[in-house]
Amino acid sequence: MPGWISLKWLLWIGLYAIPVMFLPWASSRAWVHQHGSNLQFSPKQLFQRGELGLLSLILSSSVIWNLLQSQFMPHTIALGSVMLAVGGVMSVNVWVETYCRQSTGTDWRAGRAWRDSRNLALMVFSVAAVLEIFLDRLARVGGQ
Amino acid sequence: MSAPAPALAKARRIVVVRLADSAEAIAVLSLVFGLLLVIFPVSFPRLIVHSWQHGRLMPAMMVLTLLLDTCLYLRVAHLLSAKPGVVAAGCLGSLPLLVVGGLSLLMQAAVSHALAADWPNLQARVGEEILAHTYLGLVSAVFLPFLVIRLLQQFKATNS
Repeated sequence: MPGWISLKWLLWIGLYAIPVMFLPWASSRAWVHQHGSNLQFSPKQLFQRGELGLLSLILSSSVIWNLLQSQFMPHTIALGSVMLAVGGVMSVNVWVETYCRQSTGTDWRAGRAWRDSRNLALMVFSVAAVLEIFLDRLARVGGQ
Repeated sequence: MSAPAPALAKARRIVVVRLADSAEAIAVLSLVFGLLLVIFPVSFPRLIVHSWQHGRLMPAMMVLTLLLDTCLYLRVAHLLSAKPGVVAAGCLGSLPLLVVGGLSLLMQAAVSHALAADWPNLQARVGEEILAHTYLGLVSAVFLPFLVIRLLQQFKATNS
């Protein structure tokens, strides 16, 4: 029988994505409407400097915290935490590098920064989701 | 006048790897692994634990990650129309095996530690440890070689 109950963690992680992605997009639409402009900002335009890296770092920190409180062996907790931390740091590094390049006038491409931050954020999100499924399974095994 | 073919071949640049390339593959891998866990919550973990008990899990992981890393690198080379570098090929040939081998030792230690503990439902808990290590091993063996190549390329670019 499929363990659909594990998907509740996907919804829980999705709660991080809504304030970070949907809220700025909705705010930008409200601002444009208020100022009578014809501009329309897509998420790609809003996060083209790699700002999604910040979401990744917050998400990975949260899941690391959950891992630390779990009953997994210290080896497993360490491995999961390190992988999530590396993903989060590399993701936020895209934003920092793009910011530095833009500030110093070094060559930077918005398309590349968006693609890098989107893929790394997707990676952190999916790894976090699978780890939350593991935590859910372990909690059920421990409760039996 | 157009350049002769050998000169053009020499002028082809080396593949510059970006972490986003491996991140995309890891996202797909995680999605597949997560879906298998959700759709087959009993049989998929049992299959993994069974493979581990018979010593087939680590070789399978080594082959899978090596193939995945190679395909990923060749895809990037094809998209950029660049030639694969020797150092990167060496890293991709050895690092997935080293990472999976190293993490298998960590898994053994975690399982031994779990078996020494006096917990109820011990077999299921050990199974969860094996499952988590298998997934994290796959992710590490795909991500870490590309991270090393990326850092080496950045180091080389800074020094040259």
